[in-house]
Amino acid sequence: MSTSAVMRLELRRLFVRPLGWVLAALTLAELAWRFVLLLGNFLAMQVRLAALPGAPGFTDLAGVPLLSSLLTGGFIPFGFTELALIVVPLLAMSTLAGERSQGTLPLLFGSGQSAAAIVLGKYLALMVWLLLWLALTLAMPLALAHAATLDWGKLAAAALGMVLLLAALAAVGIACSAFASHPAIAAASAILLVLALCSLQIGAQSAGVDSGLVNWLALPSHLEPLLRGLVSSADVAWFLLLAAVALALAVRRVAAEKERD
Amino acid sequence: MRELSLALASGEVLGLLGINGAGKSTTLAMIAGALRPDSGTIRLGGVDFLEHPELARDRLGWLPERAPLWPELTVREHLDAHGRLRGLAGAALRQARERIVERLELAPLSRRLAGALSQGQRQRLGLACALLHRPALLVLDEPANALDPVQSAALRALIREQAAAGTAVILSTHLLGEVTAACDRVAILHEGALRHDGPVDAHDHAALERRFFDIAMAGARAA
Repeated sequence: MSTSAVMRLELRRLFVRPLGWVLAALTLAELAWRFVLLLGNFLAMQVRLAALPGAPGFTDLAGVPLLSSLLTGGFIPFGFTELALIVVPLLAMSTLAGERSQGTLPLLFGSGQSAAAIVLGKYLALMVWLLLWLALTLAMPLALAHAATLDWGKLAAAALGMVLLLAALAAVGIACSAFASHPAIAAASAILLVLALCSLQIGAQSAGVDSGLVNWLALPSHLEPLLRGLVSSADVAWFLLLAAVALALAVRRVAAEKERD
Repeated sequence: MRELSLALASGEVLGLLGINGAGKSTTLAMIAGALRPDSGTIRLGGVDFLEHPELARDRLGWLPERAPLWPELTVREHLDAHGRLRGLAGAALRQARERIVERLELAPLSRRLAGALSQGQRQRLGLACALLHRPALLVLDEPANALDPVQSAALRALIREQAAAGTAVILSTHLLGEVTAACDRVAILHEGALRHDGPVDAHDHAALERRFFDIAMAGARAA
């Protein structure tokens, strides 16, 4: 009950603030443009590819690349994944740091909400917004399902990868918001943290370090298999573990807020 | 805070006085469950409030200093959100909202964003949120700030009305006149400790003033 009340309040605040709408409009416009370019590329290659056995299809050349440029490299750089690295911290920044800076966090405590209910309610509200954003993105390739041959399994695995990515990023964003005194600091620290998780592997490799731990810590090494259609419980667990640790830290920090004067 | 022991009966209005930094807001935040004391107990209806913070949800209403609000939400959305946070839903929430909107004359403001309200209107909305669920204990931190004399008089009438209905009220204020006009008892805090706790004589404002300044100036002289 408490969690759902906090969730409804946070969801309402997310939907009435212009930031969410501006981010949704800009990113969906960019993704639509990206999808049109990917589709054009696929149509141009389609005749040649049709003659090859086991050639990549619509899902490999337009569906999954819309979600991430991890597999396609530099070709049209900003997919859903890359945008999420920026959008999620920007949306999450005000969840707790904003409440703190405008003095409304004590109101939630004063209404008998526990730290866990506050953090979880805000996290679930953010996830609702992010899942709607993902659904609108996925609607682009799905709109052509009647005209193209979709690899449903591969697209489902990629979509699962996006859900897990959003879940982990939202938790990290909320944890940074719990620790920061100001929303801008929360956003900056969350962006730096997720960029570090993304670039860890490349940085280590360019420094000549090939460590199993670095590979395990790196976000792309868990996302890439999902984008290729390979769902591994180890990768799923990595995202869930990251989300759980970040949320637990956020709950601890918010609970400690009551101890301070 | 230290050396603070207070008891409040239902229907009683306690005025909490003290100079800036005396510990009034800290005390109220602890009573409201927004701050946890290092030691001691706070009981509400005989139940340890620190052990059962969920009691605040149903039985306590709190208006913090400067009435913090979510600027992007309307007055009506604030009342709905506070109602849900207090466990109200459906018809009960609708009735509670309509009752408080009528009592505090908030109907003309119901679609206005909280960020666009004047300070006096913010105080009224904060008060409405605190009263929405008919709390057993009402904690008001400087509620008369930014209110004009007419609004202050209406606030005093509202406090007495709540007390008559059995609500215990703690009213923190800088204004000695508010205490003599609205309170049954007065507690004076100074440097984090309770220095006076006694009944208010509504006809002897000067006595309260002397008492208050004795305590406040004694601290200044000692410093």
